[in-house]
Amino acid sequence: MMEQHALCVKSNLVNLALISEFVGEQAKQLGLNEHQVFDIQMAVDEACTNSMEHAYDGQDTGEVTVCCYSENGDLVIKVTDFGKPFDPSQVPEPDVSLPLEQRSIGGLGLYLMRRLMDSVEFSKQASCGNEVTMRKHLNLAEQH
Amino acid sequence: MEISTVNLKHCDLIALSGRFDSATAPDLERALRASMDAGTYRIVLDMTQVEFFGSAAIRSLVQAYKECRRFNRGDVRLACLPEHIHNVLQIAGILPLIQVFDTTVTAVGSF
Repeated sequence: MMEQHALCVKSNLVNLALISEFVGEQAKQLGLNEHQVFDIQMAVDEACTNSMEHAYDGQDTGEVTVCCYSENGDLVIKVTDFGKPFDPSQVPEPDVSLPLEQRSIGGLGLYLMRRLMDSVEFSKQASCGNEVTMRKHLNLAEQH
Repeated sequence: MEISTVNLKHCDLIALSGRFDSATAPDLERALRASMDAGTYRIVLDMTQVEFFGSAAIRSLVQAYKECRRFNRGDVRLACLPEHIHNVLQIAGILPLIQVFDTTVTAVGSF
């Protein structure tokens, strides 16, 4: 049977540290290496920041849930919120080859999520505002 | 999260410690702003004790880098960058544009 672990916090940025600790613990238990654990913590932090800052407009009265489980050789992490719908296609991808002076300020969080995880999917659910599903392969412990 | 700034002869050395996520990046921004407002545009960030450096912190770093380098008046340089944060900054395309040094002594000495 698939074992799930979930953490639900208020949409306050101070809870990012708590989320990071929770996700790190789950990833370590599944045998991911230090670099992979850090990559996952980074990606989840960015997803939760998006929920708190954009879906909830910075209001700390909403809830963000982070759910972890392993499935088909992947660590799966779902971040859900009940905030306003978020459309990732509206966020331009940053051109990281440009000189820093010419970089636009936005889009870095989503870009990092996609680069640090093996897959990232966004969906809008009727029962909850937004759901981000991220996967990291468990059989690549030797890789970053 | 802790930030401490030391005013040296040729630059400010700002030591960072702990997590720099969206909640704490504004503190980093304030520390960098304080140096720049005091007219110091040569800044070394000692990253030895940094555990986490998210996109909000990266944006603060890039903003300060741009501002310090304007009019060729200075630069922001990094010292003792932990490997996992080095990797993230590389993915974000921040490195090798921002100079990184193995020790704070070489970073400070580079100014």
